[in-house]
Amino acid sequence: MVGFFSLCSSTHYYHLQLRNGSVQYELIRPIKYRPRSIIRCCSTTRGKAREDYYQVLGVTVNSTPQEIKEAYRKLQKRHHPDIAGYKGHDYTLLLNEAYKVLMRNSPRNAGASGRGFTGNGYSCWNGPVRSHALFVDENKCIGCRECVHHAGETFAMDDVLGSAHVEVQFGDQEQKIQVAVESCPVNCIHWVMSEELAVLEFLARPQQKEAHGVFGGGWERPRDVFAAANNFTKRLQREEQQDMARQQRYNNGDACEEGETERQAEARRRAGQELRWKRLRDVWNGLRDWTKPGVDGP
Amino acid sequence: MTEQLYTVASDSETTGEDKSQMSFPDVAIGIDIGTSNCSVAVWTGHQVELLKNTRNQKGMRSYVMFKDDSLSAGVTGGATQEHGHEERDILSGSAIFNMKRLIGRMDTDEVVQASKSLPFLVQTLGIGVRPFIAALVNNMWQSTTPEEVLAIFLLELKALVEMHLKHPVRNAVLTIPVAFSRFQQTRIERACAMAGLHVLRLMPEPTAIALLYAQQQQQLLHDNMGSGIEKIALIFNMGAGYCDAAVAATAGGVSQIRALSGSTVGGEDILQNVMRHLMPDFDSLYAGQTMDRIKSIGLLRMATQDAIHKLATQEHVEINVDLGGGHKVSKILDRGEFEKVNQSIFEKCEGIIKQCLADAKLTPEDINDVILVGGCSRIPKIRSVVLGLCKKDDSYSGIDPLEAAVSGAALEGAIASGVSDPSGSLDLLTIQATPMNLGIRADGGNFAAIIPRNTAVPARRDMLFTTTHDNQTEALIAVYEGEGNQAEDNHLLGYFKITGIPAAAKGTVEINVCMDIDAGNVLRVFAGVVKPQGQAVPPFIEVRMPTLDDGHGWCGQALAKMYGSTLDLATIPKKLHP
Repeated sequence: MVGFFSLCSSTHYYHLQLRNGSVQYELIRPIKYRPRSIIRCCSTTRGKAREDYYQVLGVTVNSTPQEIKEAYRKLQKRHHPDIAGYKGHDYTLLLNEAYKVLMRNSPRNAGASGRGFTGNGYSCWNGPVRSHALFVDENKCIGCRECVHHAGETFAMDDVLGSAHVEVQFGDQEQKIQVAVESCPVNCIHWVMSEELAVLEFLARPQQKEAHGVFGGGWERPRDVFAAANNFTKRLQREEQQDMARQQRYNNGDACEEGETERQAEARRRAGQELRWKRLRDVWNGLRDWTKPGVDGP
Repeated sequence: MTEQLYTVASDSETTGEDKSQMSFPDVAIGIDIGTSNCSVAVWTGHQVELLKNTRNQKGMRSYVMFKDDSLSAGVTGGATQEHGHEERDILSGSAIFNMKRLIGRMDTDEVVQASKSLPFLVQTLGIGVRPFIAALVNNMWQSTTPEEVLAIFLLELKALVEMHLKHPVRNAVLTIPVAFSRFQQTRIERACAMAGLHVLRLMPEPTAIALLYAQQQQQLLHDNMGSGIEKIALIFNMGAGYCDAAVAATAGGVSQIRALSGSTVGGEDILQNVMRHLMPDFDSLYAGQTMDRIKSIGLLRMATQDAIHKLATQEHVEINVDLGGGHKVSKILDRGEFEKVNQSIFEKCEGIIKQCLADAKLTPEDINDVILVGGCSRIPKIRSVVLGLCKKDDSYSGIDPLEAAVSGAALEGAIASGVSDPSGSLDLLTIQATPMNLGIRADGGNFAAIIPRNTAVPARRDMLFTTTHDNQTEALIAVYEGEGNQAEDNHLLGYFKITGIPAAAKGTVEINVCMDIDAGNVLRVFAGVVKPQGQAVPPFIEVRMPTLDDGHGWCGQALAKMYGSTLDLATIPKKLHP
């Protein structure tokens, strides 16, 4: 969210732009633009909530891929640098990103498993992405508000669920955050790896249970979120591999492979790679042995 | 003769001067420099018009004739002299052609190697430097460069346009093959600068055709008042030097490039294959370039070209040519034989289309129209291969296969120049995609793609890297472009060092490398240390790529040898990140 707003406010730096749309305007772009763009490029891609993407394209969560496409094209026609000049650059970047994320997760593409998982967490980042991030195990949280009290910029209370969660990663000074972590009476605030954060945050939110007619249904969240995250990660990886194998097969386009299972295809692909590398490695080893008697290379 | 006109347009920061020249509408012209044919088109205010030369041709042969002290390009076809150039003159060694295949390539490149059988001199050393090219003038080889040849050609083309429009032109949109590397693109820009043209956009050829298709669909919509339904077109373009394919989704005048792929096979390869088939001892016979051999090769080339053209409509063709020096070719070539000789080329075309469909995540059933363009699209086998893969009976008929690319370029020229048309026929947009992976070398010679291919442009992506040694204070960022998994398999675009990294254990420092491509296809690379933070870290670096000027063949190897292990970077493994 922070990234998104800084983007909006930065557009007024481009008032010097030439009218005819020639390329020279890059040269007269104010220097100020550059450092900003760096900060932003670290902070926009991660930690942007999915809702932001919907807002960027002006569509709702229930929009069909067709509607998303139409909205995307309409906005592109207004903001693409070909039409709007260089000032459209940043906004178009955002449009492209939003489109990519939303289309990938559109109902048609989404499998049954990764329902609504975007690969992005819910919390946003203050400053650049670091290797560690904070995560509140909301199952254990007793809603004592200690963490919110000590580091109010970082943690927030969800009154509906009765538990705290991380709103902004590193929203406060590290000292304050440390105090907040230690103050938790049930030790439910964890330091986790940044790349695990998205899965954890996704799983920690209550999700809709599969309903059988009027039975079942409702909302639930996994009891042990860390174990669930492990499973979830594995499943995603497996699916990705299957996707890749499928694509590989499609590339080869052979009809004879149809009887093969995904795993066989995978094994075959590995073997093929192994073979290809073996030749190279042999050459390399040969070369190394050959050079050794001479000068001792670095 | 080109010297006084040489202006480096990208370096001119005087913007005030530009405005004084704005008395005429400065609409960029569209140029399609093909390997064999070239054409130019302009937006006249309500439509695209292809310009004809003094000999009333729309498609002009791409060559430059070197004769005594005078140079003349194929635009006018030597019409200023008493008689125009004939094919025989062009193949006499004194004309340079096929420069689009040679420009910006190293002498280890197989395309350059294959060009050695051309009538002019292409000398290679095979060490990754630029080849030596020369034309025969008064029985003497006179050296030149592909850029120079292209510049002379463009100069003549520019003169033709200015004569027609009666005002100077400055901006141009050029079409380029998908397979062109960024380094080759800079060479094209350089040639344009030498000819006094400023490149507004370099457009991959199939995307120019996609734009034209989008315009036609838009007009159809206006006429029929139909609904703005999305149409997906597969565009296959094969000319003399290159072959590209693209999948474009079009709706409401916006054509969105979903996937691009291309290769350096073309009509020239087909021609050489057939020549070798007709003369099995071709390579040994024509090893050195003596006067009689050049003449003999020229005769064979003309006869073969003629035969291939005839095979497009006939089942078999009779070739009867006396090559002089006791060599003679008399043969009946039928279509089956021709297709067998060029089997590998057709297979490559198939591969390109399959790749394109897979990248776009589409099946043949999703394709609404198949657009076949370029000179080689007349070959029946190519048509059947493409249509067969897309499971279509016929190709889209509304587009002229030879004029499509240049018309698209002229449209883009008008759009990018900010021209608006009240009737709405310029209410168009192309959302381009990157044709190749862009990334840096990391993990010891591996290629880490930061912007994957087929990403919508403008694009910005970043990636985190870390150091590979304890207390490593410097890191080399070598930027590559291409499809290979190893950095060495790809084109090196440039390199720079990040210095002053705070001393720390390996794997703890985080270096962010961010790549940004704007709508004009300019690539910028930003890099710097993001962890630890504070005053002790060096400022970020912004580098505009490519920075390499020449000799990029051995440069990458030298870098790898000198700094490969000491200044290496490692990727930070990312799980579940887009």
